[in-house]
Amino acid sequence: MTEPVTPTLLYLDNVTVSFDGFKALNALSLALDHTEMRAIIGPNGAGKTTMMDVITGKTRPNQGTVLFEGKHDLTSLDEAEIAELGIGRKFQTPTVFDMHSIEDNLLLALKGERGPFSALLSRHTNQESERIDALLERVRLTAHRQRRAGELSHGQKQWLEIGMLLAQEPKLLLVDEPAAGMTDQETADTADLLRDIAKTRSVVVVEHDMTFVRELDVKVTCLHEGSVLAEGPLDAVSANERVIEVYLGR
Amino acid sequence: MRKQSVFDRQSIVVLSLLAATAVLVPVLNVSVPPGSPFHVSDHLIPLLGKYLSFALLALSVDLIWGFCGILSLGHGAFFALGGYAMGMYLMRQIGPRGVYADPILPDFMVFLNWKELPWFWHGFDWFPFAALMALAVPGCLAFVFGWLAFRSRVTGVYLSIITQAMTFALMLAFFRNDMGFGGNNGLTDFKDILGLPIQSGFTRIVLFVLSAAALAGGYMLCRWVVNSKLGKVLVAIRDAESRTRFLGYRVENYKLAVFTLSAMLAGVAGALYVPQVGIINPGEFAPANSIEAVVWVAVGGRGTLAGAILGALVVNAGKTWFTGALPEFWLFVLGGLFVFVTLLMPRGILGAAKDLWEQGKRVRSGLRRDAVPFAAE
Amino acid sequence: MINLRDFLRTLLLLVFTTSGAFAGPYEDALPKFAADSYSDTEAAIGTVAASGHPLSLPLVEALRDGRLLASAGQVFIREPSGGLINAATGQAFGPVPADLKPVRLNNRVRRAIEAAMGGLTLLSSGAAARREAARAVFRSRDAAALRTIEQAIAREADPDLKLALQAARASILLGNEAASTADRLWAVETLRERGDQDALALLSSLPAGTQPEIVEPADRAADSIRSRLALWSALQNVWYGVSLGSVLLLAAIGLSITFGTMGVINMAHGEMVMLGAYTTFVVQEIIRTHVPSLFGASLFIALPLAFVVTGGVGVLIERTVIRFLYGRPLETLLATWGLSLILQQAVRTIFGPMNREVGTPAWMSGALELGGLSLTYNRMAIVLFAFAAFGTLLLVMKYTSLGLYMRAVTQNRRMAGSIGIRTNRIDALAFGLGSGVAGIAGVALSQIDNVSPNLGQGYIIDSFMVVVFGGVGNLWGTLVGAMTLGVANKLLEPYAGAVLGKILLLVAIILFIQRRPRGLFALKGRAVEA
Repeated sequence: MTEPVTPTLLYLDNVTVSFDGFKALNALSLALDHTEMRAIIGPNGAGKTTMMDVITGKTRPNQGTVLFEGKHDLTSLDEAEIAELGIGRKFQTPTVFDMHSIEDNLLLALKGERGPFSALLSRHTNQESERIDALLERVRLTAHRQRRAGELSHGQKQWLEIGMLLAQEPKLLLVDEPAAGMTDQETADTADLLRDIAKTRSVVVVEHDMTFVRELDVKVTCLHEGSVLAEGPLDAVSANERVIEVYLGR
Repeated sequence: MRKQSVFDRQSIVVLSLLAATAVLVPVLNVSVPPGSPFHVSDHLIPLLGKYLSFALLALSVDLIWGFCGILSLGHGAFFALGGYAMGMYLMRQIGPRGVYADPILPDFMVFLNWKELPWFWHGFDWFPFAALMALAVPGCLAFVFGWLAFRSRVTGVYLSIITQAMTFALMLAFFRNDMGFGGNNGLTDFKDILGLPIQSGFTRIVLFVLSAAALAGGYMLCRWVVNSKLGKVLVAIRDAESRTRFLGYRVENYKLAVFTLSAMLAGVAGALYVPQVGIINPGEFAPANSIEAVVWVAVGGRGTLAGAILGALVVNAGKTWFTGALPEFWLFVLGGLFVFVTLLMPRGILGAAKDLWEQGKRVRSGLRRDAVPFAAE
Repeated sequence: MINLRDFLRTLLLLVFTTSGAFAGPYEDALPKFAADSYSDTEAAIGTVAASGHPLSLPLVEALRDGRLLASAGQVFIREPSGGLINAATGQAFGPVPADLKPVRLNNRVRRAIEAAMGGLTLLSSGAAARREAARAVFRSRDAAALRTIEQAIAREADPDLKLALQAARASILLGNEAASTADRLWAVETLRERGDQDALALLSSLPAGTQPEIVEPADRAADSIRSRLALWSALQNVWYGVSLGSVLLLAAIGLSITFGTMGVINMAHGEMVMLGAYTTFVVQEIIRTHVPSLFGASLFIALPLAFVVTGGVGVLIERTVIRFLYGRPLETLLATWGLSLILQQAVRTIFGPMNREVGTPAWMSGALELGGLSLTYNRMAIVLFAFAAFGTLLLVMKYTSLGLYMRAVTQNRRMAGSIGIRTNRIDALAFGLGSGVAGIAGVALSQIDNVSPNLGQGYIIDSFMVVVFGGVGNLWGTLVGAMTLGVANKLLEPYAGAVLGKILLLVAIILFIQRRPRGLFALKGRAVEA
């Protein structure tokens, strides 16, 4: 990441989303630096997923500013445009293409032309194969490359989805509950993988598992009722009276 | 990465069978004497040709439903539009041989007291133009309709319902005499096509062979599409639309492209259908026809292409037999087929056969694949 | 007839005791009836009718019925009972002259009789007879009735009837060159107030050469009537639209429940409507052959039965087919289409392909005239019924635990399941309820549509349009959708024709769905999008 950049990669200011009067996000503001990893915590309904929806263009905010790299107004773009800008998203429940092989999943995710006609005429290149091989190594699925994604275990699907995100070569990864349903070992491995990714890219991780958040060892933002309740190092946030009250419990 | 050739085993089987049919049927018709049990009678040829055009329609439905998850309940509309384009050409070929002997105006226009040919009938006396329209009109309608629908993310049953409403609206429109397509009676009493008398045995054989060729071509085209990366994206859309979107694919463009292509295939099917059955009327737009085409695909096995062809042939052969032998039972059978296939054979004949085959293979080889652990790292 | 007879006798008695006028135009005219000449008879009718003599009416009636007999310059009325009375005196006549012959009639005479009758019954004491007479005079515009009508207006107490009589008078005066300008202008004004198609016809067909001071106000009056009639006809169309909307509401509301709760498109929904209609048919057949006296109540008997029959079929379908297809809406759509084919063919096999006759109870026939509107009772019953059914369903959804569970499942199936709602039982019940409602819709539709195996097919696409337009899982949306489509359809019809109107509407809905893919009243939020 050598290009000259503004200090903040992602900038949310005063973002409000309401569904029939219920405010899923309430004047939310957040800033994320380049190659920063941020953990988002908060009780159910705090607006974590809605925030992801707003950043990725799935939900339009009723008001507020969402800027990427200081110049792209994400509120006026759709999902595909935002993805092409370099924002990748992993869903809460792992979503991969069950009927495709692992390597086809990665192939479809590889950065490149996205139009239907170029897809129709595209040829498989060696360069693509090498990229896929590298990604398979990284998410430890080399042995399964020919298997259908639908046959993978839950944890493997999570990793495949992260691999697909990496294949997009995004500047920012939004990762929703990557550790859900994983064994302790898998959770630790996932934390390692994310820390490794964060060396070159920005990552936003939404997570409930406090052990996992602790392992990530990054700045934490706690959301509550659609706005930021507390922000800072995990120890500071988890010592916050309000956070304890609404989320962590005494 | 496995290289997927367009000429895989399934394609070779399908193409060989089609080629064999295209050769055998005419040969058995012309060379085998009528008394022989192997003789293919004259009336059977247009019937088989009709089945082949239905198979092409089924193929077009499978392309969008089987591979992209778009269930169109209005594909009969594209089929009928292609048919009308061909029908208009055939009407213009009648010339002064009509009942009213008007050199330009088809009979129904004379009957309605029309003085001149409506603008949209011009050019249809020239075959290449009519053939182009059989592709372009369904294609344009599909493009406009799809552009509106996919852009606003109308999906699932909503899309099915509005495609049904589309074909229903077209049916009502074509029933109107003012539309200039012969109203209730449609277009019929054709005389000849490209100078050949349409009823003659030779013309029928040519049309039959052409239908087989068009089906083979359509199959290859679809095979090419689904084997390409485009095809993979389509399946990705079918299985996880929003995932595909978040990967940066413009889902609506993909859907639009394949929907338009599919409509054009359906148009070709309609254009081949009309000269072989000798009539096109607004009944072809009936929503029931479109749904029937979907069940052909379901019976054969969707998402396989070959299954669509198989299903169209099997169901239509069954229909011909039942409506002849036990007409009052046909709707029970057809209705039962819908229920049976969706409930008990969701992957159709081809899927069921494949499952059986693989089960047999596993038993034969004594290898229990599902016992192989794959979660171990 | 007995009543009329009695009343005539009373009238005669009354008149004989109050009136002393015995010699006059009436007596002078009598011999003309005996002259055996059509033109004399015609002239005499006019004179008699205008005379105001109490025997005028019985005489003209007798003439009409061939009971007026003449012999040597004398005229007799044969009473229906057989007795003869002298037309001049009203006294019973003893010895019957041998050469009594009926006064002969031809068409001209009959017309004269009609006109005279109108004038004569104007004075009768029965309100219905006077109303009929006023109407007859209004139509015949017979100047001879003018005097009688003026008498009648003077003594009329009923304001409604008075208006009718005045209109009749106006119809006579308007085209009458002999009448004064003031009278004729009064006629224009009166007709303008009457304001119906007949008044318009009178006002716009003044004889050529009528003086401009009459023609101009008449034209203005005609214009004002025209615009009023246009308003009424628009209102009438709105009524037709509401009526169509109610039918759509009935057909769609069950669909909305199943679609909303289960996300299931029930293509066999139309067949449920059809089964409801056939249930009505069967109920009526049984009543006809066993207890004909109950026929008036047949629909009330059919309603619960139709609900039970179609609801039962619905639950059966859900348990045997649909529950295996949850989460696969497109497959469900195909399977239910198959079921619809089977149900259609089954009904065709059992009842035959022809339309079956479903009777309309007497209380549902006829129409209510309201201003310029004509509201037929069967349509009115269907509108009321549709709203009642809608209200009931609304209450069921809002206040019963079934409704609560169904709403919970609509909004978040998984969550509903995890808090202990047995979603599959709710599904079965919801499907049964939706089908049952379709069944009672069928009872209502049997009153206005042909009961044939194809009945349901005619409604299915429209019902889908209603549900999709209104928004899924929202009963109010269905109501608004049904009424909007119904009224829009009927308002378009006069301009575009029935078929083109329908096409335009379909296109409009297709375009609408592009803008609001989830309908007018869509549920919002994360759960829906997931």
